[in-house]
Amino acid sequence: MTEQVAKSLLDPELHRDSCGFGLIANLDDLPSHWVVETAISALARLTHRGAVAADGKTGDGCGLLIKFPETFLRAVGMQLGFSLNQRFAAGTVFLSRDEAAAAAAREALEKAVADTGLDVAGWREVPTDPSACGEQALKTLPRIEQLFVNAPDGMPRGRFNRKLFLARRRAENRFSDADTYVASLSSVTISYKGMIMPAALPQFYPDLRDPRMESSVCVFHQRFSTNTLPQWRLAQPFRFLAHNGEINTIQGNRNWAVARARNFISDKLDDISDLDPIISLTGSDSSSLDNMLEVMRAGGMDVIQAMRLLIPPAWQTVDNIDPDVRAFYEFYDCQLEPWDGPAGIVLTDGRYAACCLDRNGLRPARYIITRDRHLTVASEVGVYDYDEKDVIRKGRLGPGEMLAVDLVNGELLDNDEIHDRLKTRAPYKKWLKRGIRYLDSLLVDTRMAAEPMEPDTLATYQKMFNLTREEIAEVIAVLARTEVEPVGSMGDDTPMAVLSQKVRSPFDYFRQQFAQVTNPPIDSLRERIVMSLQTNIGREYNLFEIGPRHAEQVIINSPVLSQAKLRQLLGPDMFEDSHTFIDLNVDENLSLPAALDQICAAAEKGVRDGNLILMLSDRYLEKGKLPVHALLATGAVHHHLVRKGLRCDANIVVETGVARDAHQIACLIGYGATTVYPYLVYQSLHDVTRRGNIDRQQQLGRNYRRGIRKGLFKIMSKMGISSISSYRGAQLFEIVGLDDEIVERCFRGTPSRIRGATFEDLLEDQKKLAAAAWEPRESIEQGGLYKYVHGGEYHCYNPDVVTTLQSAVRTGDYAQYRNYARLVNERPVATLRDLLALKAAGPPVPLDEVESVESILPRFDSAGMSLGALSPEAHEALAIAMNRIGARSNSGEGGEDASRHGSERRSKIKQVASGRFGVTAEYLVNAEVIQIKIAQGAKPGEGGQLPGHKVNDMIAKLRYAKPGVGLISPPPHHDIYSIEDLAQLIFDLKQVNPQALVSVKLVAEPGVGTVAAGVVKAYADLITISGYDGGTGASPLSSVKYAGSPWELGLSETHQVLRSQNMRHQVRLQTDGGLKTGLDVVKAAMLGAESFGFGTAPMVALGCKYLRICHLNNCATGVATQNNVLRSEYFIGLPEMVINFFRFVAEEVREIMASLGVRTFAELVGRTDLLERQPGQTARQARLDLSPILSDNGLAASVPQFCTEPHNAPFDKGELAERMVRETLPAIESKSGGRFEFRVQNFNRSIGARLSGEIARRHGNHGMADAPLDIVLHGNAGQSFGAWNVSGLNLLLRGDANDYVGKGMTGGRIVIYPPDNAGYVARDTAIIGNTCLYGATGGQLFAAGRAGERFAVRNSGATAIIEGAGDHCCEYMTDGVVVVLGSTGVNFGAGMTGGFAYVLDIDRDFVDRYNHELIDIHRITPESMEAHLHHLRSLITAHVEATGSAWGEAILDDYRTFLQKFWVVKPKAAELGSLIESLRRAA
Amino acid sequence: MPKHPLQFLEVPRRNPDKESPEERVLHYGEIYGAYDGASAAAQAGRCLACGNPYCEWQCPVHNYIPNWLALIEEGKLFEAAELSHQTNSLPEICGRVCPQDRLCEGACTLEEANGAVTIGSIERYITDEAVRQGWRPDMSNIEDTGKTVAIVGAGPAGLAAADVLARNGIHAVVYDAYPEIGGLLTYGIPPFKLEKSVVRTRRALLEGMGVKFVLNTRIGRDKSFTELVDEFDAVFLGMGTYAYVKGGFPGEDLPGVHDALPYLVGNAYRELGHDEAAAPYIDMAGMRVVVLGGGDTGMDCNRTAVRQGAASVTCAYRRDEENMPGSRREVANSREEGVRFLFNRQPLEILGDEKVKGVRLVETRMGAPGPDGRRRPEPIEGSEEILEADAVIIAFGFRPNPPGWLSEHAIEALPSGKLRVAALGPYPFQTTNPKVFAGGDMVRGSDLVVTAVHEGREAAKGIARFLKV
Repeated sequence: MTEQVAKSLLDPELHRDSCGFGLIANLDDLPSHWVVETAISALARLTHRGAVAADGKTGDGCGLLIKFPETFLRAVGMQLGFSLNQRFAAGTVFLSRDEAAAAAAREALEKAVADTGLDVAGWREVPTDPSACGEQALKTLPRIEQLFVNAPDGMPRGRFNRKLFLARRRAENRFSDADTYVASLSSVTISYKGMIMPAALPQFYPDLRDPRMESSVCVFHQRFSTNTLPQWRLAQPFRFLAHNGEINTIQGNRNWAVARARNFISDKLDDISDLDPIISLTGSDSSSLDNMLEVMRAGGMDVIQAMRLLIPPAWQTVDNIDPDVRAFYEFYDCQLEPWDGPAGIVLTDGRYAACCLDRNGLRPARYIITRDRHLTVASEVGVYDYDEKDVIRKGRLGPGEMLAVDLVNGELLDNDEIHDRLKTRAPYKKWLKRGIRYLDSLLVDTRMAAEPMEPDTLATYQKMFNLTREEIAEVIAVLARTEVEPVGSMGDDTPMAVLSQKVRSPFDYFRQQFAQVTNPPIDSLRERIVMSLQTNIGREYNLFEIGPRHAEQVIINSPVLSQAKLRQLLGPDMFEDSHTFIDLNVDENLSLPAALDQICAAAEKGVRDGNLILMLSDRYLEKGKLPVHALLATGAVHHHLVRKGLRCDANIVVETGVARDAHQIACLIGYGATTVYPYLVYQSLHDVTRRGNIDRQQQLGRNYRRGIRKGLFKIMSKMGISSISSYRGAQLFEIVGLDDEIVERCFRGTPSRIRGATFEDLLEDQKKLAAAAWEPRESIEQGGLYKYVHGGEYHCYNPDVVTTLQSAVRTGDYAQYRNYARLVNERPVATLRDLLALKAAGPPVPLDEVESVESILPRFDSAGMSLGALSPEAHEALAIAMNRIGARSNSGEGGEDASRHGSERRSKIKQVASGRFGVTAEYLVNAEVIQIKIAQGAKPGEGGQLPGHKVNDMIAKLRYAKPGVGLISPPPHHDIYSIEDLAQLIFDLKQVNPQALVSVKLVAEPGVGTVAAGVVKAYADLITISGYDGGTGASPLSSVKYAGSPWELGLSETHQVLRSQNMRHQVRLQTDGGLKTGLDVVKAAMLGAESFGFGTAPMVALGCKYLRICHLNNCATGVATQNNVLRSEYFIGLPEMVINFFRFVAEEVREIMASLGVRTFAELVGRTDLLERQPGQTARQARLDLSPILSDNGLAASVPQFCTEPHNAPFDKGELAERMVRETLPAIESKSGGRFEFRVQNFNRSIGARLSGEIARRHGNHGMADAPLDIVLHGNAGQSFGAWNVSGLNLLLRGDANDYVGKGMTGGRIVIYPPDNAGYVARDTAIIGNTCLYGATGGQLFAAGRAGERFAVRNSGATAIIEGAGDHCCEYMTDGVVVVLGSTGVNFGAGMTGGFAYVLDIDRDFVDRYNHELIDIHRITPESMEAHLHHLRSLITAHVEATGSAWGEAILDDYRTFLQKFWVVKPKAAELGSLIESLRRAA
Repeated sequence: MPKHPLQFLEVPRRNPDKESPEERVLHYGEIYGAYDGASAAAQAGRCLACGNPYCEWQCPVHNYIPNWLALIEEGKLFEAAELSHQTNSLPEICGRVCPQDRLCEGACTLEEANGAVTIGSIERYITDEAVRQGWRPDMSNIEDTGKTVAIVGAGPAGLAAADVLARNGIHAVVYDAYPEIGGLLTYGIPPFKLEKSVVRTRRALLEGMGVKFVLNTRIGRDKSFTELVDEFDAVFLGMGTYAYVKGGFPGEDLPGVHDALPYLVGNAYRELGHDEAAAPYIDMAGMRVVVLGGGDTGMDCNRTAVRQGAASVTCAYRRDEENMPGSRREVANSREEGVRFLFNRQPLEILGDEKVKGVRLVETRMGAPGPDGRRRPEPIEGSEEILEADAVIIAFGFRPNPPGWLSEHAIEALPSGKLRVAALGPYPFQTTNPKVFAGGDMVRGSDLVVTAVHEGREAAKGIARFLKV
């Protein structure tokens, strides 16, 4: 790595990918060329799931993994004169173009092969046609050769392949050049892959066109990488698998794999200790997973079992799982943590071919089986053209399911059959019953601390650990009282810890990482069913020789201990004699590194003495000693033990006063702690009750732990992680402001980019605290981190700033604005940019030569703030102001009243967020910019929240919700689980409104630049990078404080990545987060932004006083409330105030430009050379290394610094959709309706959306209802069929459809039914994919077959009938009617607050499948529910009429009998009798 | 988090009942009643617990106002008293005499809505009621350091310093020339604003904390400053400002023209039953009184004159009502009690031969802001008028009048007479004599009670650090 790269924010390790994938296998293992051919064409039909470079030829990589085509290989080998034994292997190797390097690599590989006792038969140069490559791929095209290896006679295949494995791994450790890569080396599979487009595969590899190339299994994969630096080796499949998704816990998994290497012992496997590390620690997550699978398989575990252990289903929380299956997973869970994250995996090892999904089913997988006994699995249905009459079975994999072909026995194994095989391999249940012990808890536990501290002692502890009155009252007491984390508003306006002049907790230097775009956060509120905090304590043994002792474990349901549980754990029955107490209080004269040495030595000794528990404790303070911070100690001990190979022999229990909130506990666990005992919390709570501030009778300790548990769930889910065992040690944080020595010692591998505080600084902090702690006259501190307190932490929106700004904009007096700007621009260092001063580009220029205020203003947007969060008065004032100055306001996530469309009150930016409130075609066509809010600065990884008391009639109408019912948006967009999903949503939006620009809002974190590059490749036109300090809505305090990075880092990283990948000119870059003055704007421009978002400042201009009570609906300034009195009497905002603010800012920008000698704004963008590092005001500020932020990566100045393209047009021109528009437009314009027919294939995406946009533009959402277009289609529809459908558009599809059918539908009708000649039973067969009707607000959907996961999620008005559904059906539904004429998956109706459903429960197990939190279920009795009886019948009748459903007909035929098996499902809050009445009213 | 987010709308702002003007002018007692627990809680519950506590920000001692309001809402009276005393040594006094409408209540978010939280009244309620119920400052943790500090002046600065020193285990001995503690609290502020029993209660609290008072003792007359410096480890000077600002116009020396302070002190002496020889009573009964000046002292004079039975009281001020320095509440109270206000009137001359007959005034309009940021009044030519009067009270404020012995001890003053103290550095409020600290009006010129309290407290913290305790 060159110095240049090291000092920038580019990190070649950061790349994310996802893709289209699949496999085709012959169930009887009969090889054919057809399999290879069809796999390639199927791959080509998934091109839209990959990315295409500007040259139209370079893809991000695609490939095939083929079951060994022995005939072909033997033939080509013989041609070359190889002498091939009866058993031989061949492997594809990428070699350097440099002949010397290639020769060295060949030699290394040959030697490694020979060393294992195998014979090299020869090298074959693989024929290739480079003209198939694009320009970028050609630059890095390797020499591609195949190595042929002979097995000695009689060597069994398994042994042969294990030797090949060892040879390859050993050779890999010896390759001296970076280019050499062994794509495969095996006697059972071979891979063909490259940086080319799928369709070009057979051109590039003539082998693949050779009819002799016959195989029975072909796994295929097409990659969409966020990175464009071409890397041939990153193309998939790997040696066993192809992975669509992302392993979120990769760092932890890799560390644990290394730590566990000693436990991988097998007589089948030669010594693997020289494979150090046993899996690759770099490269992609998927390749590490492939390595791990390879190791487990080499150890003797079959690939099916290994895969199930690595990516298990959600066995902990599912009610109706087979106890033996559960035992199987529980047993292995004691030994191995899951690899967690979205995953669709296809694999083959020659023995099996299989596909499996992660526990949450976050990637789609559809399959068909044809009469000729071929199984095809792929991301989509319809990847090759088969005749429906030849299909004997069609389906989809559910969450956590696996489907496999046993090639030896010619059997297809479904999920249950696989489990049946696995569960009987050992007496797991018996072993567990004997071995597992649980910690008991009391039924009622009001105890907090058995030995309460005296008040004076407690104060000493509170001061020593920097616990303030504010934290006790605002955080700890709230948790203990309400069982949930405290909620706050308005984001974080305090300095990052390293910039602060106060003593801040070391935890404050850690920012939680979160999922955005490339993987989704999990919904810890509504999809808790997939999450687990179960924590095991015990010893790990050899994974390949299992026995009863593996089950000797103690299981705790949560890693946060009560005193009772800690006592049990350390009690006589458990670990009394096998734990080591390690005192974190050390001599005050020791340096921190020396103290850590001492602690690590004690820990190592403890483990070597055979102790299973290391108890790190700061519980016993002593004068003359200082506590080493528990996080430093935990991280140091964890890494020390990993290095010593001892980590898996011990569990770290932390007894500490420093951990109080969920973030702090998550940090400890994230760096290796098994459990945490937060004694100071219990002591402080005891004190609170002693003062009588909380009712003594409450179980405060337990409540607190419940609150923390929810917090931990949230933190894990934010990163898409579902089990704490995967989270443990995964280090999912970014460090902002710690010196490299600390990171290297305690937090190795965690991103930390700008250095900062040293061990000495932290020790100094602790000494300050200690001085106060031992001084009885000093009372504990008031605080000031959450709210401004005089003498406390600096707040950027302190009262001075707010009042000065308000007086400036009210008077319109620029002199007063200057006072405000001075207060802000000369504040104590509070943000990274405060450490950067401006340098002039030349001599000053006269002000009148500088670009005008008017031409600067269009660069300003107001940040997305929803109507709902804001009062209508404030929302409209903001819109009017922005429109008047030629800038844009952002609607936020809450719809917009149609009366505002086209007027001065409209928001030109329309936001699409995960709640999809009011997102209809009409809303979208009235936008200039459509912004997809992936995350927001104050709480990335979480959805917006609008408390019920803010949902009045008007808000409810706009959001299609119920008045008074709180609205929580899902943490993920349920149609964006990966980058290719985002590309799909962007495509949907560009289809419905081709004129609009699509913007994607991201939040700064390490890797955001890489994500942004992917977003550009997904064809976004604008990108916003938000800083942690933005955010105005209600949000949990721990999210406000601990998630998201400063935008200075994120913006600069994004700008650098886009420039280095030659993409900067394709996209307009915006930043937001705490922007207040012209100086902020200029600095942001220099760091790469050309557009600027302002949230809080214009609100303050409108009268907001930064009260941070937005979530309470009592905003006394009438800005953030729906209360009529407050809105009408106390809101004083006028558009002029906002206009004044922005004009002032623009004027200040001009003045700065004049002083810098710059005439046009564009000259400022990306000019980091005009920024100069200032020393700062503290030693640790001075130590910050900001050079990475200022790097230009050595790129020439001519590389574009800003966007020059008008828009970023998708590769897919949507030709079918355009043809449909051409043919129907006259009928739309004349409102005459008509019938039209088309053929549709899986790559025809978003069919209907284009028409809906045209209709909505002319007639609104419902204007064409009485003259409908009937569009008749045949075939397999691509994703987003019928998206944003409006009244007057009826889509009739004979065939089937993929994911997102009817997304955002608001009217019209979608009918889908199978062809008459189908060879399968429609009601058992998947006909539509996942996440259909997401955010629908009206219309009808009839589908004669089963739907996938999350059917009708956030439905708020559509009526739908389907014949079966996957998990999470009707999630977050707020209105509409759903009829399911068959079985559903689990978690039905989670978060459902409106509408209702009818579910046919033939197997009588629906009770176990619905989510009991908000809904209840009722039988339809003819006596009392006459209306429902008729209503349901009319719906089924309509379904039968529309689809010809045989099953529907059967039900009608015997309606009275079936009726008894239906449930009416409704929100608990709704009256049964009112359901149909409310439908009538709506109609 | 407030329990009832909309309480501020549902419960209107309400101060404790005020006695009717007709009745209250008949005596010198306080005019406001007191809250009971329920009404205090209801009023405290109006607080929004803002993210930016503007009240605390504006408060010179930065009281944790939202926090003790929350405690009062929850009924935690003693905790509120403890918290209130953490930032303020004389909260019950500040609750009475602070111009809340210019400070905490003026900054309160609800002030622009439907009325600020009644912070002053609640502040006063907290200590009054807590003491009544037996609360006393918690001194259990204080270790005696054996250090001693002399405090000169038992006014708000001195009392605040004594309080903080005592809480740091330092013996404070407070000297004052007057027979009772309090300085202007006792002798300047009339009892209808601050009943003297309140000061006596505070004295008892301080004495309970170990503070000693040596009264009727003027340093430099009854005891030399040298003695103090020799006997004590450090000295704090909080002697206030007692030189009157003069108008500088003709007629100021006429009989019947009085300076505000002697007038108010005389009245206080009579009320307290002190020996009036030291401060003679000036009686306004039956007179037409003109008060010149728009500050709180002026209001005190207005209302004292009303109570003495003046025939009429007219208050003339050279700026407009908006720009008055005094508390709007006191202006309102004065008005209710019958005082007539003339704004934008600048006195040019006091007329009369043997005694006052009237005041010649000129009308003004508000001009550009001066160096202090306040808009200057500009006389309007030809608008002169004469106001008839039997007595004129001049309340233009006070200047520092440092005693001569200061310079003998290397304690420097600025040309304005204010003492020179360290602004920053390890020992704030240290004078040029390292052992001597000073605060309050002596240092910053005449100002509010609460700023004197603030400086006394900060100086005491400086002294504690200086004494290495």
